[in-house]
This record gives sequence, C-alpha cells and structure tokens, in this order.
Amino acid sequence: MSEARHGETAPAPPAAQPAAPPAASLHVVRRRLRELLQGGLGDEAGAPLEAQSLGTPEAPRLVSAQPIEGHALRAVRTDTAPDAAPAVLVAFLDGTQASHVAHYDDGLPIVLGRVAAVVRARRGRTLHTWARPIVEHRLYAPCAHLSPATRAVLASAGVPVVDTTEPGPDGTVPAPHPLALLERAVHFVQADRERAERDLAERWCRRDGDGLRAALCVDGSIQGSEQLAAAPCVIGIVKSHRTMYAEGAALRTVLALARGERSTVFRVSVGRRQPVASWYLRLRDPAGRDPMWGLVRLEAALPDRGDAPAALTQRADAISRAVLAEVSPLSLPDARWDKLVYPIRDCEQFLRAVC
Amino acid sequence: MIASSPAPFGRVVATERRPNTAFEFHFWTSLDTPIGIGTIVRVVGDVPVGGARPTVYGVVTEGFAYTDLQTPLHDVLGHDGSPENPGYAATARAEIRLYTAAVLRQIPEEPLQPVPMGEVFLADDADVAVALRMDGYLKEGARTGVPVGVYRAGGMESPIYLDADFLVGPEAAHLNISGVSGLATKTSAVEWLLASLFAHFPAEKGSVAAICFNVKGPDLLFLDQPGKLDEADLALYERLEVPARPFDRVHYYAPYSAKGYSLATLRTHDALQHNVRPLQWGLNEVLQYAEVLLNKDDVDAKADALIDFIVERVVNKSFSDPLLKRAYQVRTFAELEEWFRDLLMAVEGKGSGDTWRTHHVATIRKVRNRLTNIALRCQGLVTDGTSTSDLPWGTFEDRAVYVVDVANLEEDAQDLIFARVVSKLREHLERRDLGVKHVVVFVDELNKYAPGDGQETYVRKMLLDIAERGRYLGLVLFGAQQFRSQVHRRVVGNSGTALYGRMDADELATPGYAVLSPAVKTKLATLAKGQLMVRHPHFTQPVFVRFPRPAVMTGREGVERFPQAAEPTLEAAVTRALRTLDPAVTLAWVQQTIALQDERAVLAARDRTLLTRPDDVRAYFAAQFRGIVTPRVVPTAPAAPPLRAVPADDPYGF
Repeated sequence: MSEARHGETAPAPPAAQPAAPPAASLHVVRRRLRELLQGGLGDEAGAPLEAQSLGTPEAPRLVSAQPIEGHALRAVRTDTAPDAAPAVLVAFLDGTQASHVAHYDDGLPIVLGRVAAVVRARRGRTLHTWARPIVEHRLYAPCAHLSPATRAVLASAGVPVVDTTEPGPDGTVPAPHPLALLERAVHFVQADRERAERDLAERWCRRDGDGLRAALCVDGSIQGSEQLAAAPCVIGIVKSHRTMYAEGAALRTVLALARGERSTVFRVSVGRRQPVASWYLRLRDPAGRDPMWGLVRLEAALPDRGDAPAALTQRADAISRAVLAEVSPLSLPDARWDKLVYPIRDCEQFLRAVC
Repeated sequence: MIASSPAPFGRVVATERRPNTAFEFHFWTSLDTPIGIGTIVRVVGDVPVGGARPTVYGVVTEGFAYTDLQTPLHDVLGHDGSPENPGYAATARAEIRLYTAAVLRQIPEEPLQPVPMGEVFLADDADVAVALRMDGYLKEGARTGVPVGVYRAGGMESPIYLDADFLVGPEAAHLNISGVSGLATKTSAVEWLLASLFAHFPAEKGSVAAICFNVKGPDLLFLDQPGKLDEADLALYERLEVPARPFDRVHYYAPYSAKGYSLATLRTHDALQHNVRPLQWGLNEVLQYAEVLLNKDDVDAKADALIDFIVERVVNKSFSDPLLKRAYQVRTFAELEEWFRDLLMAVEGKGSGDTWRTHHVATIRKVRNRLTNIALRCQGLVTDGTSTSDLPWGTFEDRAVYVVDVANLEEDAQDLIFARVVSKLREHLERRDLGVKHVVVFVDELNKYAPGDGQETYVRKMLLDIAERGRYLGLVLFGAQQFRSQVHRRVVGNSGTALYGRMDADELATPGYAVLSPAVKTKLATLAKGQLMVRHPHFTQPVFVRFPRPAVMTGREGVERFPQAAEPTLEAAVTRALRTLDPAVTLAWVQQTIALQDERAVLAARDRTLLTRPDDVRAYFAAQFRGIVTPRVVPTAPAAPPLRAVPADDPYGF
C-alpha cells in the first residue's frame, strides 16, 4: 500500500515526548538496599521472574461463545486485496514488564518491578511515539512479614513500595512462602502493567479522533477496561489461545480457517470483564504448520443495538483487512512472528530501548 | 550560505563493542539528515568538564544504514518472495543512520578525553574554521590563508584555506596532487590553486612566480586565454575572493624543432606569438649539466676528469698547448668539435705515446663522442652556435607564470631542461637575485621523473633536493601524478599539502592509503570533477572540497580555437619570428634578404636578432648578411638568330 494512502487516513498524532527517565535500575536499587540493610544480592540480574515458571499456568479450555453475526460460527472470506485494505490502524499500544528480586530480607523476596507502555502512531509509513511513554519502577515487598525497620528502609529507598501481602478479596494474607510471594509480586507487576497500558489507551480514546478511521491497536484483550471495551476506535489483538471460544464444529471451523479468512463475530463475556465482539482471523497460511499458526483473535466494541447486521459484517471485514495489511514486514526474529504484527513488535523494541 | 540550524541533528552513541575514543566517535541521525562522508560536525558534550561543556569537532569517515531485519531471508519471506509487494506494507521497517567520525579538534584540548555523549550539530563557517585550526592563520593582520575550495554539506558552504606558510614555506612546503588522468583534476587544480595563491599570497611575504613544465599535450599552453565559466563557478570565485580571469603575465618557452624553423610547441598560432620565446642553449649552458645526458656506465672516472679539465681550462678560455698549432677560443659545440679534432690529430701524429696530459687518446675520443653528440641528441634545444635564448634569470616578475613546453622533446632534452632550470632557480634563489622571492615549480608525471624505484637519475636527485631543502630557499614543488604510490617516498613525504582527485581503485588498495576508511576510499574512487580531498598540516583529518573550473582556456579548447600553424618554409619561419619584434616585417622582404644565404646562417641571424631584440629589427637582421653579394637579376642578352636549317642528307653541312 502506498505511503500516500496510509498518510491520508492517519490523523497527525501529538508531538512525541521523551520517555520519563527511569527512576531506578535494578543495580541501583540493589546497591541502595545493600547499603541500608547490610548485605544482600550481588549485581547479577539473572532472568526476570516472568521467564521463570512461577505458579500453575492457566489450563487450556474451550468456551462456547454466542454468535452475533449469523446463527453459527462459520468462515468468512475477507477481501485481502491491497487496495481494499483501509489504513484504519494508525496507532499501536503495547506494554512490557520485568521483575527481579532486589533483596531477600530474612528469606523473603523484595521484588523490583518495572512496567512500561507506549503508543506508537504511524506517520506516513514510519512509527513515532505518541505522547509520553509510561515507565515506572516499584518495589513489591511482603510488608506484613517485614520488620518495621526494614519497611522504613524500603520507604527511604526512593522507589514506591507496593505491599504484596495486601489481603485478597477473601481477606486472607498470603503465607510467607517465598515462591508464593514471588508469584504474587509478579501478579502485582502484571496488574500495574495492565493499568499503564489501560491509562495510555484511554488517553488515546479521549483525544480528538474519528472512530475507526484512527484506530488504536492494542496488544492483547481490551476487556479489562470498560472504556476501551466500548470504544469504537480500539481494537485488541489476542495471540494467546489457551481459551478457545469455540466448541465442536465451530472449533473445527476456526482451526480450518485459511489465510485471509475470519470467523463470524461472536460475543465474549468473561466474569466481571467487559463484554466485547470478537472473531478469529488467520494471518498466515497454516499449511504444514500447527493449527494455531498465524491465528489471532480480534476484539472490538459490541455493535450498538440499533446497528444493522450488515454493519457488523462490514466493520469486522474492515478491521480484519486492516490487520491483514500488517502481516508485512515480518516480526522476525521474534518467535511469535506468525501472530505478532510488526508495529507491536516496534513498541516492544522501543520500550526495550528506553527502559 | 544557509545559517546553521541551532537544532541538533544527531546524538553521540557508544557501546561496549564500539566505544568512542579520543580520536573517533559514533553518532546517529534521523533518516533525512543531509550529511555524508566528509561532513564536518560539532559535538557538545552533555556533562561539563572543568566547568565547561566540552566541544568536539569531527569529520564523518564512515556511515552505516541498517534496519531491524535479522537476515535478508526474513524480508523475502515478508514479501512472499516478490519484490513488487513491499509497497503494500503499511509500516516501513525501523531504520538507522549510524555514522563514524574522526576527531578534528577538541576544545578544551587538555585533558584529551574520549568523545563524550552529546548532541551533534552541523558545523557552520565558524565551526569549520575552528575545527580545521584555520582560525590561527585567518586572523586579521596576520592572514596567510590561501583558498583551496569550499566545503559543502547540508546546505552549508564554507571556504577552506591553506596556510601559505605551510604551502610555500618556510614552515612546511610543497604540494602533491594525485588523480586519474582525463578528469581534468590535476592540471585544473594546479591552475586554480596558482590563481588563488597569486591572489591571496600576503604581500608582506614577498613576491612569487611559477614555472610550469608542460610535459604533455596542450595542457598548460593557454593560461593567458579566458576559459568558459558557468554561474556556479563564478559564485565560487566570488565566495573565495579570487579574480575569475586568466593569468595576467604568462611567458612561454619552447625549444626549436629539429629543423629549426619553428618552435616545438602546439602554441604556434600567429595570434599567440607575442609571449612565446625560444629556449635555446649553447655549450656554456649545457656543459655544466652534461652529466644529465651522459650514461654513468659509459663515462668513467677518467672521462669525468677530462670533462672537468675541459670545463675548467678550455671552454670560454684562451687555450693553447705545445702540441697544438694555435690558441683556441672554445665557446660553441662547433668550436669544441674543432678543438677535439685538432687535438686528436696532434696526439696521434706525434708518435710519442697514446696520452695527452695523462688523458688516454681513447678517453679523449670517447668524451669527444659523448659531448659533441649532445647537440645532435638535443637538436633544437642545443645549438652549435653562440645564439642562445634562456629564461629571464634575474628578472622574474611577481605573480608571473613561466611555462616551459617540453611536451614534444625527447627524454634526454626534457631531462636537460629540467635539470638546468631547477639548478638555475636554486642558484638564483640562494643569491636572492632571481627577481622574485618564491618560485613554485609545477611538474606533472612525477611518477616518471621521480619514481620510487629504478636507478638514480639526475632529475630525481634534483626533485628530491627541492622537496627536502627547497622550502628554505623559497623553491616550492607542486607535483602531480596519477599514481602517488609510484613516486619516491621522500618527494611525497615532504609535501606538506596533498590533494587527491578521483583515484584509481587499484591505487587506493596500496598501503599508502591504509589510513583512510573504506568509505573515504570509496568516495575518492568516485569523486566528481572539481572535487578534491585535501590534506594539510593544520588539518588533522582529510577534508573534501569543491573548487571552481580554472578561468583559463583548456588545452583541448585552445588547440581547436588556435590551431597549430603549418610547418613553415624557412622564409615564413623567419618572417614569423621577426614579426614578434617588428610587425612591419614582410615575407617578401625576408625572401629578398635571405635569398642565396646559407640556411644555418639565416637561422643564426634570426636567433641573434631575437636575442638582441634591436630597435631596428630589419636593419639588424640584414646587417648580418653584408659579406654576401645580394643577388641581382642579370638582364638576358638578345637571342642570336637561329642557324639555317641543314638538309638531313647533306654530309658536308652546307
């Protein structure tokens, strides 16, 4: 697609602002804690906790979903001709997180977590940072199990402290098992990352936009935010399929999607999360690959009650074509390149550079 | 000139693998930044050192562009193997421009630290002057800058100056130009630089003239004729404050052709004869430099001793010997030959041995052969007679160019001319009586005259002497060659300033260019006409400049516009020569004057007239033939009546 075609649909994003300078690095925090608490870990960072197997992963499952485009899930051919691909995706959002143990206090882990999020908006054919990226560092400490003196030291470390022993919805305080505390810290970091992403995405929605013509493509689900789930300018791309929203014949239909085909739209509503419209889309030819190759699930706001059925089809086709237009350039060498669109990878690369 | 933008266009970067040093640093820019190899940049460090933010000047020596693509195969896969598909990609891959720069100067200069992280700016005029340390010699009241061209980058255009003290001496001296043939780089650069030198050489440093040896074609034969300049050239002349006009004072010298009628030069058109003089030497001028023409293997110590004896005791002296019947005054090759002939006859006729004054007769024969042979080998340049014509030793003019055309001469004659002219220059400069204080000697094809290998020659010795000691005398060598690597290292090594035009890739692969980055070498191999890379003692790194076309007619255009005159008859040659002194001389008058005269006498009379330059040219010329009766027309006697016809069969004739 020519640059002009992309350019004419892309509203000019506000001037990019530099990322906030990192408040702390792992080494700095470790040194500081070593000074304050006499002793501790060396400077070797090691792999982040996210890369370690903490806790039990979510079990793969099949969930029946309610079709809202037609009465049953079926394959729909989207027109993948370049000329038909609208440049609706003008911005992309992704966030990253990294957690490392900064100190063990009497065997209890104190974790330094870093979360970051950025929106990269397309101007012409190149991506530029929209607004100020979010980069935040926090200490995640089991405050309930730490001595007052240690808590005082953490408070003076120059990094915000998050209590990982905060009682849960059932009012229980987690036991001082180091692995449980680590797992809980990682969950807290993940929550902060999702909040950072949500903050940026909601700011995008509040800007002067024109709906789908200036859509923000979010890496992951948009069900976590009421505003995002209802925003016509936000699209979520889900690459993980531990939960498949299809069973029986519908599942076979989804797994048999050919390149450029999408499933019909269905409604996804999980627990207290916001309901959204969703459908599967095959980005790349799965021949000779596993059934999930190049398969993504898209999320968008549910259609208004008064919308005609054809409007939903038209919208799903338009979004699908826009996402299909992002299959090049490839996101190699990323291992998820079959599902990861290049601008999302660009967000990750950007955050890697500034964090 | 576009004013320098205050906004930075790049940032210094350094990684553990590619750290910055005190002499090299790296920076990145946006994709549309107008910089390239050779661009001069200014870095302002982020962190103050000693209370001030350090400033570093550098010149870009290497550039890299790459994307986040890991292998080309990924791009092929991304476009389904079809090059037509890239246009469909909504997003262009992230791309970087990464440059490496060599440090030109750091301020403060102490402590000399690695280049710090900081913002990178495009250098403006003032930055360029500081970066190249030109500020030291462009100060008001002590200005010794000689413009060599303009440096252009990113819309900026800054004049680049050479320091006259380092170009002409005495601090350093000499200039060497390298470049492939046929791109009008070497000759054009020298013509331009001479014009610039004449325009900007500080008056308080004295006078300066140039001697150019035209060694091939018509390259330097039209320096006094205006050339074609376009608007861009004129703008450069104006920017560099050099008059866009040909040289005011140019004098041409060329030997005669072997026949002696006309000069052996392509500048023989009638309209250009006013400043063309013959170069003709006799025994006195040549004998001192005889060793230039003598084969070392041929002339041994005995022969050398005899030659010394002849130089010391015979030539220009009244020489007599008991063996000889009379006293001899040897002033010409003809008289020397006569002396040799009589001496050999006497030695061989006395019957008392084979030696004369310890010189064996065989040695005498050999020296006779070698010396008297010179006039034959250098016919046209060396005369048998006494008429000589030489460069104006002692009356050289300030800002004048003296072109010696040796293009049509044999190698021996070229060597002789070169050796004698340089020797005379050195003698006069040592005595401070040349007429000017500094002389620039331009020699092209240095790889022929001062090669790095091969046997030692007189000419190479002379060039080495200029290169190593000339600057103390004010004798400056501007040398040019296609292959710098083939020129003697001491010649190029002593050249304080070096210019490089487009270079041959093979030449760039030689060790002498190893200090240049691959990008600079590639740029050198692709330089356009009018572009040069300059190395100068003040510049810590080479700088690329653009110079205007010389304001003189090119050799090719000159020979088309002023075609060479046809080989003249004796009468026409004499007429043409005398007309340079007296336009009233006509061919008819010359024909009448020299009728029945011996050709050698006529040519000698012409040469003497040209040398003397008398007020009454015709009278002086004609006076040299007074001993010969002017031919007159004898009236034909009335024809006798024819005899009566005799019958064919009348045996008695009646």
